[in-house]
Amino acid sequence: MNPETVKHLFDHVWKDQDELSVLTFSLNGETFAIEAINVQEILDLLPETRVPGAKPFVAGVINFRGRVIPIADLRRAFGMEATEATIDSRIVVVELTLEGEPCLVGLRTDKVHEVTTLPHAAAEPPPIVGMRWRPDFIHCLVRRGTDFVIIPNLEVIFSTQPARSAA
Amino acid sequence: MSAHILTVDDSASIRMTTKIALTGAGYQVTEAVDGLDGLNKAKAGRFDLIVTDLNMPNMNGLSMIEALRKSAAHMGVPIIFLTTESDAEMKARAKAAGATGWITKPFDAEQLVKIARKVLGK
Amino acid sequence: MTSLDPIQVFRTEAAELFEQIESGLLDLLNDLSDQDTIDAVFRGLHTLKGSGAMFGFEALAAFTHHCETAFDRVRKGQVPATDELVAAVLDAQDHMKALVSTPQGDHEDASNRLLAALHAAVGGAATTGHVVTPPLPQASAQAAAPASAPAKGQAFHIAFRLPANAMINGTNPLGLLDELRELGECTVKADLSTIPGLGSLEPTDLYIGWSVDLVTEQGRDAIDDVFIFVMDDMDIKVTEVAPVEAKAAEAAPAAKAASPAPEATLQKAEPAKAPGNEPKHGGKQAENVRVPAERLDELMDRVGELVIAQSRLSQLAGSSADLHLRAVSEDVERLSGELRDTMMVLRMVPVGSLFGRFRRLVHDLARETGKVIELETEGETTEVDKTVIERLADPLVHLVRNSIDHGLEPPDERVAAGKDKTGRVILSARQSGGEVIITIKDDGRGINRDRVRAKAESSGLIQPGQMLTDQELLQLIFQPGFSTAAQVTNLSGRGVGMDVVKKTVEALRGVIDVRSENGRGSEISLRIPLTLAIIDGLLVRVGAGSYVIPLSAVEECLELSLEDDLRSRGRSFISLRDNLVPFLRLRELFETGTPPDRYQKMVVISTGDARVGLVVDQIIGDHQTVIKSMSKLHHDVVTFSGATILGDGGVALILDVTHLVAVGQYQEAHLRAAG
Repeated sequence: MNPETVKHLFDHVWKDQDELSVLTFSLNGETFAIEAINVQEILDLLPETRVPGAKPFVAGVINFRGRVIPIADLRRAFGMEATEATIDSRIVVVELTLEGEPCLVGLRTDKVHEVTTLPHAAAEPPPIVGMRWRPDFIHCLVRRGTDFVIIPNLEVIFSTQPARSAA
Repeated sequence: MSAHILTVDDSASIRMTTKIALTGAGYQVTEAVDGLDGLNKAKAGRFDLIVTDLNMPNMNGLSMIEALRKSAAHMGVPIIFLTTESDAEMKARAKAAGATGWITKPFDAEQLVKIARKVLGK
Repeated sequence: MTSLDPIQVFRTEAAELFEQIESGLLDLLNDLSDQDTIDAVFRGLHTLKGSGAMFGFEALAAFTHHCETAFDRVRKGQVPATDELVAAVLDAQDHMKALVSTPQGDHEDASNRLLAALHAAVGGAATTGHVVTPPLPQASAQAAAPASAPAKGQAFHIAFRLPANAMINGTNPLGLLDELRELGECTVKADLSTIPGLGSLEPTDLYIGWSVDLVTEQGRDAIDDVFIFVMDDMDIKVTEVAPVEAKAAEAAPAAKAASPAPEATLQKAEPAKAPGNEPKHGGKQAENVRVPAERLDELMDRVGELVIAQSRLSQLAGSSADLHLRAVSEDVERLSGELRDTMMVLRMVPVGSLFGRFRRLVHDLARETGKVIELETEGETTEVDKTVIERLADPLVHLVRNSIDHGLEPPDERVAAGKDKTGRVILSARQSGGEVIITIKDDGRGINRDRVRAKAESSGLIQPGQMLTDQELLQLIFQPGFSTAAQVTNLSGRGVGMDVVKKTVEALRGVIDVRSENGRGSEISLRIPLTLAIIDGLLVRVGAGSYVIPLSAVEECLELSLEDDLRSRGRSFISLRDNLVPFLRLRELFETGTPPDRYQKMVVISTGDARVGLVVDQIIGDHQTVIKSMSKLHHDVVTFSGATILGDGGVALILDVTHLVAVGQYQEAHLRAAG
């Protein structure tokens, strides 16, 4: 799908609401949030099956309740270092719409924090400059105290991952 | 003991409507898919009423009714046939073949049950 | 077991009726005098009308009524069956389909136009003497307790005598008397005057008459209703004796019943002998239960889950010393295997249902192109998984169109080439091993290889002068954007479609073979696995991962000693019964980064004539493989056609045999070229 269209669609994430219910989790020290409505389940780590030839971003699959779903590592999208799994590591299964069809994906996370609400008033668009990440991979940043929570634009991330050359 | 009714029709949707209506009224219903099937099932079982279409493959309703009336076991068993308003000629032929009565398509459940009650008696 | 929505059932039934009617109409084009077929078409239309009216498809019922009437007249010999009539009804049928799918739509113009054609085809007399409106809701039997019923009781004297055979025909006089009693206060007297002497008494005949005095609040109509079914044949006299006005009613025949039947012979309908329809009509009918497709899919899923659970159980039992557990596990394994097989059979449907619709297509194409075409079908009873049938419908339409449009020559060109002016298209299906092979064959001009090559070069699909095998060259026609039609017609040849055909077939894990002989014709074969959901697989290990190879593709398993392996380094060929077979080291292909096992195995797989060996670390054994599709995010990974879940809950990937063989062949071609 055209990233512009995706972005446009996803810009409606707040849908005129003052608050957004999200699940927060951390990856390499950064806090991310995904809309709670898209979260299917939070799993303990499962044995992953590597898919030879797949893009590193979605290098493996797991058995999620009898369905074979891909496991994605957002660290790859945000240029972060790969880290070893810890006792806190979890897989967050989310439902995305890709090419107009629902698609389940498991996201690796270092730790899952909480389901919380983020106020629209605290949201800011990603800065165009001075950021090491691709701006279209981020829907917005939400200020929380001195920190930011990142709301990633999963649809864009998943529809623009290059083929295996990125390895 | 509830009355046992045989519905003979090559149209699955009509059979289903008939069955839903009659079972809903407390009757027991067996289905047959054409005249031949109907004749065989009628001969194999004991039915208190037969509701049949006339135009069917393999054996049409008229032949089935005639054949049934020839067997002693089926003298007196009420046979209702389905017909359309425009088909006066078929109606006359079905009655001549030995049918008891008819119901005009399209019909609804209530109409069918009413006629079943009528010919079955209480 | 069946869907409880009669409308849905009606739609399904209508689709079947359309097929049956269409098949009959097309048969009639071959033999317009075939009475059985005429009857079958009439019956189909009749049922469609009747059921349609039942379920609120009034426009359909009204429209179909005209077609039915036309065929009724043909059936009775009043008008002859003609090509025009058949064509008009074929056209009308498309309209009827629209009336089923969108009953609320505005169809009036189309209806009128088609009816005009229909009337013209039967000499403008299709509806003479018939009521042209749809059957109205019935007025007679339900007319009880009309508004005009007097508030107070009315007294009637009713004298009636039923026909002698009334009881044989199922009328119960006592029931009628009961009904009269329900209407109000009643005094009944039997008239025994006409009972004959014992000698001439027929025990089944009715000799008794009755006279009844009834006081009812329900009026005269209610009384007529009691006798509705026998009114025409009986003597009845109903007299109103209430103070109001004694109005002696003569025996009132039911007004709407028309004159009794003229003596036409009874239709002793033989089973319709429409080819392609045999399973439905053949002799004695087996009992069928209609099940919505999605229920079957659900059941299939459950069976799939059961098979997975069973393999987990087997694994547990295998590592247990408990003999009872093992015995139970073996029983469960056998049962689930049988259940799986039964399930597979349930999903199988004959391809005849698919082929049936091509007769119409060919008929239309012949009219459009002016070509003379004969369609032959073979192997209609071959059974295929229903999903396969559904998905193949469109690709086959495209291939048949393609054969007719590009393959078959116009009649004069054929005659000039010394061929029969009638072009033949043969659609056949047969089962071969675990595959069903569907072939579309024509005796047209064949594929022009030079033109294919020129076109592929000019559109950049291949390099100029690039070396290609004949099959590779022919397969180019399935490339996106490829079309050799010198002139684009409106039938096919827009360059869209053939690539979609290929994609669809591949999505079904099938392959396409093309054969073509210049001037003699072409043959395109689709080889599709019989079933989609569960396959027998060979479970192997490569590095740390488990993989499944579809067993239907496995030819043999060999040991590859370290020495053989070393000797073949750089060559990747082994000699197998005097044939060189290329092989692929899956460990390397999959970049496992692990050292090879000491005793590696080679699994030789094949598609058609091409073979390739796959080197694996270990052969684990047979595995009933429930196929799960890969996520969209992995659609770029061509090595695997799907995944499955193992007994321990882990995932194993299923190797795409066609792809791996192609890789092997490519490697072979390159090495040959190099060496």
